[in-house]
Formats: sequence, C-alpha cells, structure tokens
Amino acid sequence: MSEAMHTTSAVSAAHGEHHDEHHGHHKETFITKYIFSQDHKTIAKQFLITGIVWAFIGGLFSVLFRLQLGYPDTKFPILETLFGHWAAGGQITPEFYYALVTMHGTVLVFFVLTAGLSGTFANLLIPLQIGARDMASPFLNMLSYWFFFGASIVMLSSLFIQTGPAAGGWTIYPPLSALGEASIGSKAGMDMWLIGMALFIVSSLLGGLNYISTILNMRTKGMSMTRLPLPIWAMFFTAVLGVLSFPVLLSGAILLLFDRNLGTSFFLSDIVVNGQVLPNEGGSAILFQHLFWFLGHPEVYIILLPAMGMVSEILSVNSRKPIFGYMAMLGSMFAICILAFLVWAHHMFVTGLNPFLGSVFVLLTLLIAVPSAIKVFNWLTTLWRGNIRFTPAALFSIGFVSLFISGGLTGIFLGNSTIDIHLHDTMFVVAHFHIVMGVASFFGMFAGVYHWYPKMFGRYLNNTLGYIHFWVTMIGAYLIFWPMHYEGLAGMPRRYLDKRGWVSFSQFGDLDKMITVVTVIVFAVQLLFIFNFFYSIFKGRKVTTQNPWGANTLEWTTPIRPGHGNWAGEIPEVHRWPYDYAKDGRDFIPQTEPVGANESAH
Amino acid sequence: MSQHIISPEITFHTEHSDADFKSRVRKTTILLSVITIIELGIGLLIYNIHKGENPNHTLVLMFKGAVCILTLAKAYYIVSVFMHLGDEIRNMIMTIVVPLMLFIWFIFAFIYDGNSYKNLRNTYDKHFQESAVEKQEKKAEAPAAKPGGKE
Amino acid sequence: MATTATAHQTKWWSGGKSPFNMEYGKLMMWYFLMSDAFTFGAFLISYGSIRFSQNFWADPNVVFNAFPGAGHANLPLAFVSVMTFILIISSVTMVLAVHAGHKGDKAGVTKWIAWTIVGGLAFLSCQAWEWHHLITGEHAVLVDGHVELIGQTMRANPWGKLVEGQAVVDALKNTSHDNLVSLVSMHDHTTSHDVLSAMSNDALINKLDVAELHIREKGPVAFGGYFYGITGFHGFHVFSGVVINIIMLIMTQKNVFEKKGHYLMIEKAGLYWHFVDLVWVFVFLCFYLI
Repeated sequence: MSEAMHTTSAVSAAHGEHHDEHHGHHKETFITKYIFSQDHKTIAKQFLITGIVWAFIGGLFSVLFRLQLGYPDTKFPILETLFGHWAAGGQITPEFYYALVTMHGTVLVFFVLTAGLSGTFANLLIPLQIGARDMASPFLNMLSYWFFFGASIVMLSSLFIQTGPAAGGWTIYPPLSALGEASIGSKAGMDMWLIGMALFIVSSLLGGLNYISTILNMRTKGMSMTRLPLPIWAMFFTAVLGVLSFPVLLSGAILLLFDRNLGTSFFLSDIVVNGQVLPNEGGSAILFQHLFWFLGHPEVYIILLPAMGMVSEILSVNSRKPIFGYMAMLGSMFAICILAFLVWAHHMFVTGLNPFLGSVFVLLTLLIAVPSAIKVFNWLTTLWRGNIRFTPAALFSIGFVSLFISGGLTGIFLGNSTIDIHLHDTMFVVAHFHIVMGVASFFGMFAGVYHWYPKMFGRYLNNTLGYIHFWVTMIGAYLIFWPMHYEGLAGMPRRYLDKRGWVSFSQFGDLDKMITVVTVIVFAVQLLFIFNFFYSIFKGRKVTTQNPWGANTLEWTTPIRPGHGNWAGEIPEVHRWPYDYAKDGRDFIPQTEPVGANESAH
Repeated sequence: MSQHIISPEITFHTEHSDADFKSRVRKTTILLSVITIIELGIGLLIYNIHKGENPNHTLVLMFKGAVCILTLAKAYYIVSVFMHLGDEIRNMIMTIVVPLMLFIWFIFAFIYDGNSYKNLRNTYDKHFQESAVEKQEKKAEAPAAKPGGKE
Repeated sequence: MATTATAHQTKWWSGGKSPFNMEYGKLMMWYFLMSDAFTFGAFLISYGSIRFSQNFWADPNVVFNAFPGAGHANLPLAFVSVMTFILIISSVTMVLAVHAGHKGDKAGVTKWIAWTIVGGLAFLSCQAWEWHHLITGEHAVLVDGHVELIGQTMRANPWGKLVEGQAVVDALKNTSHDNLVSLVSMHDHTTSHDVLSAMSNDALINKLDVAELHIREKGPVAFGGYFYGITGFHGFHVFSGVVINIIMLIMTQKNVFEKKGHYLMIEKAGLYWHFVDLVWVFVFLCFYLI
C-alpha cells in the first residue's frame, strides 16, 4: 500500500471526520453557540471576559488597600457606606485589609493571569495557528471553562459570607490558615478558598491536557514542531507546567482541608491559640510551604510563558523581521520549564529551610538568569534595525520586555539566600514580583488582546484609547513599583496595615501617597480599556482584509469572522516556518506558500 | 486499509500474535507475584530483626533499600507490559519517563528537609528531644527489665 | 526535533498525524495519569518528609497484623498480601479485557471486565474491613501515668514505644476500673464481663501478665492522617475505576463499541485501572513494607 496515499486519506479523515463527529450539522441555538459552546474561539472569549471581570474585582481590591497604605490617617465615609463594619468609621479594618490583600493575590494570580491569560490565548491560538478545526476534545474544553466558572462562583461567594473570604495571604500558609479560631479569615472563607482552588485545578488540568494533545496530534500537514509559531510552544510548556505542578497544590489543599476539618496534624504542631494548647502534634508547617511552592514557582512561569510567546510573535510581526534565534527561544523556554520545577524553595530561605539545601536552591535559581537573558537578547535583536510599526500591541510588547528586564534583575538579588535574609517579606519583594510577573504578564495579555482582537471579533480596538492605555499604564506601573524597591531596601515589611509606628519609615509617607494616587489613575485607565473592549465588540472599526497585520501565521488565512471549524474549505498545508519576514525582497511570506526554487534559506 | 483507520490521527497498527501475547502476560504475572512474595518475605525478616535484642539498623536499612528497588522493578513491569508503554514509539516513552525524573529532586529535597527539621528540633526543642533520648536509655535498660517482668 | 522513525520511514513529526501514532484520547489519558502520579507522589513524599522529621515511627508489622476471622492471632502482613494479590490479579484480567477488545471479541471483553469489577469490589471490601478493624480495635496506651484504650484514628496513634517493667505496674494502679476490665477481658476470654466488673482493681491487676500486656506510649499522630488520607485517596481511585469499568461493561453490552468499530475506550479504562494498581504498589511499599 502506498504510504503517500495512506497519509493523505488519514489527514482528510482527521479533520473532516473530527469536525462532523463533534459539531455535526444540527442547528445551533443561543445556548449551544454562546453558553455551552464547544467552539474554541467562543470558549476563549468566555475565558477572556470572565478574566476581565475578575481583573476588575482584583484591581479594585488593590485600590482599596492602597487607600489605607497611602492615607492611613484619612477617613473615607464612602467605604463605610459600601462595606459596613468592614470599614467602620471610613477606615479599613485589619481583617478587611488582610482579606483584600489575600483575595487580590489569589484572584490576579490564578483567576486572571492563569485562567484569563492562558485560558484565553491557548484556546484561541492553538487550533488557529497549528491548523486544526478545534481542540482535540471540544467537550472537555467546554468543561474546562465551566469548572473555572464554578471555581469563580465559589471564590466570589466567599466574599459575601459573614466571616469574609480567606485572609491568610494568597500563599495560605498554615498554621494560620488551618485554625479558624486564630483569625476570622481562616473560618468558612478558607474552606471556600480551598474548594474553589480544587475546582480551578480540575479546570486547568482539563485545559492543559487538551492543549498538549492538540498541539501534538492535531497539527496540519507540514506543521512540524519547529514550524510552530512561538506562542504555541509557550502554551505547550505552560500546559506541561500546569499538568505536572497543579496536582501537588491539590495534594497540599486536601491535606490542609483535613487539618482544618478532620483534626489531623499534617501541618500543625505545638500550637497555642488564645492561651489554649491545641492537641495537634508532629506536623510540619514547612512541609506545606514545600507543597505550595512546588506549584507556586512553576505557577510564575505558567503566568509568564504565554506572555513571552505572544510577545515574541507580536514583536516579529511588527518589526517586520524574523524572530531572532528561534531555536534559542525554544531552548530557553524548555530550560525555563525544567528549572521552574527545581527551584521552588527559594521562596522559603528564611522559614526554617535547611541552609545547605537552600544553597542548592540558590544555585538552581540563579541558573534561570541564563535562559531569561537569552530571551531578552533575542527580543532586543528582533527589534534591532527593524521596520517597527508602533501599534498598541507592539508597544505593549516592548513594554513587556522593559518590565521583564527591570523585574528580572531584582530577582537575582532575591535569589541569593543571604541577601534574602534582609529583603524577605519587604516591599522589595512586592516590587519584584509585581513588575516581573504581574505587570509584565498583563502587558503580554494586553498585547495579545490588541493584536488578536480583529480575529476574535472582526473589529479593531480603538487605537487612540489604546495609546492612552499603554502610556499611562507603562509610566504608572514604574511609578507605582519602582519606589517600593527603596522602601523594601529600607526594611519596610509587606502586608502591614499601618507603618506609622516606625520612625524609620515615616520618610516614606509621601511616597506612599504618591503610589496610591498613581494606582487610582492606572486603575481608571484600565476601566478605559474595558470600555474600549466592550464598545469595540459592537461599534469598533470593522476589519476589511483577511490579514490586517501582514502576518505569516495560519490564523490570518481563515475568514475574517471564522465559523466553527475555522476554515471553510480544506485546512491549508504548511511549507515553511512562521517568521519569513523581509526575505528575498518580500515583506512577508505566509506559512502556506510553498518554498520557491531559488529561495534563500533562513 | 480503511478498517485500520480507527481514529484519524493513527496511521498504522502493530499486531501481536495471540499466543505470544498470552505467554508474555503469563510471564509478567508470575514475575510480579514472585517479586511480591520476596517483598513480603523481606518485610517479615525486618519484623523479626526488630523483635530481636539488638536490631542491626544498617541491615534493616539495606533490606528496606532492597524492597524499594524491587518495587521499582514491579512498577516497570506494570507500566511496560500491562500498560503497553513498552510497545509505544520511543518518543512517547520519553515524554512519560523524562518528566518522572523530576521526582528525584522532589523526593530528595522533601526528605532532606524533613530530616533537617528533626535535627533542628532535637537540638532546640527539649520536649521533642526527650523522645529521642528515652529511646537510647530504653535500649540499654531493656535486657535488664525483661527478666524482671517474667517473675 | 523532526525525528524520523525507522518504522515505515514515516516522518512522525511533520504534522497531519499523531507523532506517537496514538489517538488523542489515549494521549490525554496518559498525561492525566502523569498528573495524577504527581498528586499521589506529593502525598507519599509528604508522608516521607514527616516520617523523616520524627524520632520514632510505628512499625507496620505491628500495626497490620490482623486477619479477618483470625481473632487476636499475630499475622503480620498477611491480610495486605491478600489485598495486593487481588489487585494484581484484577490488573491481569484488565489486560485480557483490553486484549479481547483489540480483537473485537465482545464476549471476551464482557467476561474479563466483569472479573475486573469483581476484583475491584473485593479490594474495596478488604480495605473497608481493614479500616474498620483499625478504627474500632482498642489498644492499651500509657497516657499521663495511667492506661487508656484507644484505636487508630486520625487524631491518635496507639503504636508508640513499648513500655516495660515498673512503669507498667505503676500505670495499672492509676487506671480506671472500666479500662482494667476491658484490659483483662482482652486476654481472658473465659471469665464473663459481669464477673470481671465485680472484681476489685487489685484483683484485676493480679489477673494481668505484665510481660504480655504490650502497653505502648502514644505514637506519631501523623501516621493515622497519612494512612487514612492516602489509602482513602487510593480507595477512591479504585472506586471510580470500578464505576468506570461498570460503565464500560454496560456500553459493551449495548454494542456501543461494536458500532464504533473499535474498543479504544476499554484501552483507556484499562490504563486507568493499571495506574490504580501501580499506585498501590507504592502505597504498599511506603505503608506496609518500610
């Protein structure tokens, strides 16, 4: 039997059959089209919009606690009107403050930058860029969103219960989080946090398995792994990280639930609460931190890698140049992916971790600087002498690179266990991770939204609003987080409600006021973006060409508003890598174009 | 040809002969049973060493190490034969085996830190330390105490 | 990256087909099992970490020495070996079911899946008995200078170090009447409970052979939590495996796979079942052997 014939028939069967099997020709109702949709593009939009709602909530929390930090003396009567006894007398109570800080971290790390970011763009880009009709299993993909939705409902409702949401910090370290009698934030809110996260982990697992098997199995003909656009590689590593590290958090969460409700002593030992000796004995609080950070550290890269991938693509498209060092990009992402699993305890240098073990973790941690530096070098060289189009997406990508550099450098400080003794749990840490993982990933996400909005909705976002959004956010982010380095170096602790008691920090009073003012302005500009987003869905300028950015990747070969199944006819075949820009005198050569006889090699 | 395409992504199928397969399963089953029996034997041996007057801890540790290795062998046969991983394409095997390497550092770091936590508490926590000290004393007393009990 | 496999000279990675010659469902099942392996791994490694942080740990041969119907006979590891063999055998029947599926042999699939379900249920019953025995079984433990009778629960562990000699004699003097009665009746099955209740504390203590009492201190609390937590989580997997297998059985009966033309679902259920067996191998190692 002829091999060629065999494969061709397999391919056509692959996409044709698959398509029919799952989405047949039955009439789509509103519910199957927009609510319980199995179309990856709709699911991506669901993730994005849910993520935007969460980002609004999480961002609002930060504005509230920044008010307390910047203006500890001022009373805001409106707060009491809105939050009742949580803000008695117009000032945020300690319990409320801790709840706000905890939920700000939880919401933004997990619900926005994990689900909202990789949920959106993995779903949108994987089938479109690898040339597939849909995910390997559209049904599990839909379940993935609805588990996330369930997690959201549980987490959101924990905000409205009598004792408030979890308030032990987003890392929920026991013993505090295990003992309801120790803090009201460790009562029912904590159980809901754990249940919400368990649902979230199921969602991320279903999503991750789907992304991995789709990327491996569903690539169109000619789309070898080294012809994959970089966002796809990034999503692939992200999914691998999620699939292997989230279960460890699940284990920790289950054990913590047992400690809270069944009287076990996994993490508890020798504890006195309110003068009462607890019977728990033999557990280890450090063990929980190990379990948490075994997820927690890969989580940083789960957040960052998709942004890295999308930025690579957007920079290449908008500087009209091939990405510099494609294989080096892959290699460094792979190295980051592996190292991410090996360095978790660098979050725990001062918690009683064995110092010798700590020194091994220092070594492994500092190794991450190598692939990170390679990536930065490649982004800069991609931009170098490029014919750059400063679209909002490109600006956000450049902003990402800037933030990644400045935030990454402070990571070298913190990765050294000796310096960490001074810097641990200070505002320096807050500045570091907000810049490198929070704001940078947000910039990647914004870049992705501005760049692929035309593909999602068939319209453009408003450019002027986009430029305002970028410049205010960029300058604002540095104004907010840069001064925090100085505060942290001076020893100012994070998570403190009120620092007026220390003379050494009184010099920072005005600085904190400035940070708060900028926070409010930046938050307002994000509202402008949200307005732009929803307004443009209905009223934005319409996309009239199939390939508005002049990009090579497959998503721009689909119709302007692709239906379920993405391509009307056959799925195009791929003949080259996705970064043939400014080659042989041509601006760009799409992946679908066969390699010409006289073409130079890239 | 068409009956071979059970799923679009699959292009061919490897077929085993029936008798070949059955004998392989039989061999693996016997192997797993034998290993389990050896493991149980070692378990009982450890029990008897512990019952003795002066348990030799190095010997116990060696036996425990042997059981661990036997368990890994069992795991290998279950995954490779029963789960048919051994019959898959090499790259597929690698995607399963390579991530499992993470367990090496995972196990080492956790155990090392658990052990270090014990040493810390034995050094600084008097109450915790007692449990270790008593053990030493007991051992010295044990031979003397036993005849007394039998009277 | 683009590896050329030798078989058929196929370019596995060139797109348009699975690089592993494996349909996506099976691939997802494999990676799901990887993920689950990390869940169990995290549990077992936590257990190891806690165990290494203790000066003393309970000897499994002392804890698991009971056998249904054997009364107080000391049979270390006997029952768990039965459980282990049940699981190994059920794994073999599952292999045969998958093999029958490859051949499209509906009767074979039905037969072997049914046996696998029986094996799974038998294992679950054994586990239920073991848990029940551990929770309700009472053991003499020295607490604050007197003897108490406690079972193995999440909050307490009766398998600490053995107490011997004078300490036992002293503790018995401080022990309550009810506990002494229970203690005597554990070893003396001839005298009725009423007669024992009527006896004085000193008379009861005289009936006890101090050397045979095996009174222990309280053991490491974490033992119970991890044992019930991990075997429970494993038992939950066995239970869901049984449910999956029952669904497979029903689907086979309803000719779902016959109509599809392949029994790949059985293969995936089989992977899950073997994984449950695989996890047991490690649970067996960590809790019963070392």
